[in-house]
Amino acid sequence: MTFEPEGTHSNASMRNLHLLHGTLPHEVVCTENLTPFLKLLPCKGKAGISSLLDGHKLFDANWQTMAVDVKPVCPEDGTECILQIEQTVDMVLDIERSKRPRDNPMPRPIPTEDLVCDNSKPYHGGDSCFPLDRTSEMSWSLNKVFGRPLKGSCPLTTEDGRDSETVCINVPHEREVQERTAADLVKKEHEDGYLRCYKISPNLDFDLILPEQYLSSNLPLSHPSLHAFRSITGHGQERGGVRAILTNPSLTSPVRFVYLESLPWFMKPYLHTLRATISSSTAPLPDQYLEPQQAPNTADPIKQMYYRPAVDRHRGTHLELLLELPPASTLTLTYDFEKSLLRYTEYPPDANRGFDVAPAVIRLLSSSSSSSSSNGSSLLGASEYLRTTSLLLPLPTPDFSMPYNVIILTSTVMALAFGSIFNILVRRFVAADEAPGYGLVSLKGRIWALAQRLKARLRGKGAKDE
Amino acid sequence: MATTYVSENAILPGQVHTYFGGSEHNIFRAYRHEVAGLAESSEEERVGKLGDIFRSSGLKVAAQKYEYTAAGRNTTGKNVYAILQGPRADATEAVVLIAAWRNMDGVLNQSGVALVLTLARYFKRWSVWSKDIIFLIPSDSTAGPQAWVDAYHSGHDPETIESLPLKSGALQAAVAVDYPAGPWGHRFDKLHIIYDGINGQLPNLDLFNTAVSIASGQMGIGCTIQRMWNHRDTYSERLQTMLRGMLSAGLGHATGPHSSFIPYHVDAITLQTVGDGWHDEMSLGRTVESLFRSLNNLLEHLHQSFFLYLLMHANRFVSIGTYLPSAMLVAVSFTIASIALWVQSGQPTEKATVGVWHSDEADAKEQDVTVVEQDGMTALISTAELKVVERHMLLPIAFVSAAHFLGLLPLYVFTRASATPGNASQTLTTTFYAFATSTALLPALSAVALSRLFAPTSQQWALTACFSLLLLGLFLSALATLNFSLAILVGVLGSPLCLVPALITSTPSRTSVPSTSVAAGADTSSSHRTTSTGIGGSVANVTLYVLLLAASPPALLLAACHYWNANVGAVLAAAGTAWHVQGAWTGVVVCLVWWPAWFVAAVGVAAGGLGL
Repeated sequence: MTFEPEGTHSNASMRNLHLLHGTLPHEVVCTENLTPFLKLLPCKGKAGISSLLDGHKLFDANWQTMAVDVKPVCPEDGTECILQIEQTVDMVLDIERSKRPRDNPMPRPIPTEDLVCDNSKPYHGGDSCFPLDRTSEMSWSLNKVFGRPLKGSCPLTTEDGRDSETVCINVPHEREVQERTAADLVKKEHEDGYLRCYKISPNLDFDLILPEQYLSSNLPLSHPSLHAFRSITGHGQERGGVRAILTNPSLTSPVRFVYLESLPWFMKPYLHTLRATISSSTAPLPDQYLEPQQAPNTADPIKQMYYRPAVDRHRGTHLELLLELPPASTLTLTYDFEKSLLRYTEYPPDANRGFDVAPAVIRLLSSSSSSSSSNGSSLLGASEYLRTTSLLLPLPTPDFSMPYNVIILTSTVMALAFGSIFNILVRRFVAADEAPGYGLVSLKGRIWALAQRLKARLRGKGAKDE
Repeated sequence: MATTYVSENAILPGQVHTYFGGSEHNIFRAYRHEVAGLAESSEEERVGKLGDIFRSSGLKVAAQKYEYTAAGRNTTGKNVYAILQGPRADATEAVVLIAAWRNMDGVLNQSGVALVLTLARYFKRWSVWSKDIIFLIPSDSTAGPQAWVDAYHSGHDPETIESLPLKSGALQAAVAVDYPAGPWGHRFDKLHIIYDGINGQLPNLDLFNTAVSIASGQMGIGCTIQRMWNHRDTYSERLQTMLRGMLSAGLGHATGPHSSFIPYHVDAITLQTVGDGWHDEMSLGRTVESLFRSLNNLLEHLHQSFFLYLLMHANRFVSIGTYLPSAMLVAVSFTIASIALWVQSGQPTEKATVGVWHSDEADAKEQDVTVVEQDGMTALISTAELKVVERHMLLPIAFVSAAHFLGLLPLYVFTRASATPGNASQTLTTTFYAFATSTALLPALSAVALSRLFAPTSQQWALTACFSLLLLGLFLSALATLNFSLAILVGVLGSPLCLVPALITSTPSRTSVPSTSVAAGADTSSSHRTTSTGIGGSVANVTLYVLLLAASPPALLLAACHYWNANVGAVLAAAGTAWHVQGAWTGVVVCLVWWPAWFVAAVGVAAGGLGL
């Protein structure tokens, strides 16, 4: 239910399609991760907006995500279908931190004279400073935030139309934006002027500069239709639980969504403990206060469930739930699980870190698409997906130095035992005086024999010489 | 004893340059004034203000209300905490920085809270964090952190403790700061590192070592433990430190805001400033900064170093391999005594005369002998030696189990008394004296009742003592692996119980002992033999009973309270709070392990003393 094919597919090909779903829950961020991503682009990060992507800046962001979507697109006129690749990079930047120069990334305390203090405090003076919140919009530019300007547009972009506007910025009306480029550019405003787009020329540096400014209005942000939060509950090495809290912040419309959990096999959920409870009086979100509306909704929010249990060491658990959440309510989904013991070779080198559990994937079904989901045709558009954070699952971990110690100890004992037993078995014991040619006599005899041999050789040489 | 060392290579203590200083000091002073201004304000106002300061630093803030009812008091409060989402983190791991609003002594932790606020603002600017950092300001030092950490793991009672609206990943470590200096600051001399957790559980030694090596090595701040303010590393001071540590672990109470974290396998310590010196808040801030940088380096949960150790100095420790045998030996002594009693109880009471048979005496003595042939040899053995003595075990087993179940009664009474509202200290004092009196009288009464009802034989008395000691040995050896200090404490205090059965049964039977030789108290006779030993045996048994009373749990508690100048009611109230809030099971061990063993021994002595 969660994943539907996107793009155009013929009915014949639909029948042969398989859904392959895999997750790698943990990946250490590395600037190298960006390189293959940029290589897919026609301009390989040399021009266009991708020229801003610098591994150091990208992975220094507070939050970042990269996505590659591939779908077949068949034009209306019946010409040959093509595969369309869409690459996305999202980042949430802390402007203040990003503006720090790369050669001096240390957040040293700012000089005392640069502190912005609240002078109204009674203790305000030479050595005390209550920091004031910044009320103005920070000044920034592409060059400062990304460390380089935009290196012109990629020459492969279409010449005109919406697609040619390669750089867009979403700011309030009154925000002053200065463009700096050597050539002239085309600027267009969309969506009531909040979105400003630029058509820039290739091979010329482009920079956007936003000076410090006091703003009276904020950008109207679209509210997310669902808040999701998932955490592990309980403690100990044997059992645990997962609790997912899903909140519908909308005051008017219910939300239908598919919740997908793909759990590793060593995390065995007890499906009979699966509980979904809805409480209407949501905790007020920071930006909006909701009145408690009605008593807890008794209707089962789980509309449909698909469950495929795990097979040890072969596949993980697959759990899909179709849920419906009434307006202004919170759904708490809980289930317990058991942690299984792995074979010792199955532990990774950093076993004590814990094991990562992949994020839950939530697919939001718009009310229109859910009504016509039976035929599947209206689902071919892009769906809205949410992902929770991944979880860290501590499994019972043996002390890995112990087998090592045991091996060393047993090997030592074995070696000692084998050595002495073998020695005793193969050696023949005789009294010292019974042994022929041992002791001082034999030494003397050997030396004598050696001397004789030496003598014989010398004599032989002498004989040859003659 | 060995010097401490950092096992985990990833920690790299003190390898980073710390930048906390300069203008941060101005901000710190302002925050300290703010905190001082909140000293008198209400809970809501305080939480709101602290939340605002966190929010202005760009952190996510949440609060949690909690309420505990224990020891006649309603402990309510509100924790406020903020989460710094690490720029390099994926929200799977978190470390906690705590500054309780009031420290363990109830003093306002002004500079500590201000330091946490300043550090939160400062840490936000770093991009190195690969773990989330949670800044927690609980209302008090025990209940608040307990409520928070319980709710974090969803192990709380939702009726009285709110769930956390905001969470991060698995907790990796927690560091608490206790710096109760007023708005004008106070320069401290040393850092007192507190590490004991609930029930004598300890944090990983690596965390402690990292703190010590950063504070003393990088910052030049001396470290001290277990309230040993002037530790010159002499033998007697090391011993004293170790004993204090063992006592603290044996009591199993919370020693700081960090204690609640340790049962959840979150390694935690408290840094407390002590003395007058020249280190200021910035040194402490830099210590915390460096410590968090080290913790940030961790790839795995702290696991490399010891979890079971005794510290004798900030740089010296004893590992479990060295000290555990002592507790095991104490526990085994009970088991050996019990085995001895078992063997003894199987031997015939009528001893055969041992010695060489002389042919002329043999005729005279008409003794019953049996001819035994083995390996072609023949021997004449007195039949009495060969007689198999049947052990009557039902009564001993029933009595020992009853005694252990009887231990539930004081446990129940004390937990009820500590849970009832009102003046808990007064109630508990009354309950305690009632319990002490009944502890003194109950063995004698039980002895009378047992004798009247079942008339136990001396073998049954011996078996009773045997089973009781066997159980004690079993419990203590199991406990030694969980809480070594408590096990050895109970073992040593209960060691007289090991000798008691020997003292009762060691009287040579059938020999009329002159009453003068009994004065030593060693020659007491059991049950039905008292008639032959006369009044002297009774005196000895009564002396033994009195001595045993002096070694009883309530008497020792009274003695300890007298020695440390504490109020019994207050001590019991604290124990009640520890049981209700933190789940410390010291009381369970005392009531269900130590007291029953003592009770069984005392009944045996009383039976002997009353001549039953």
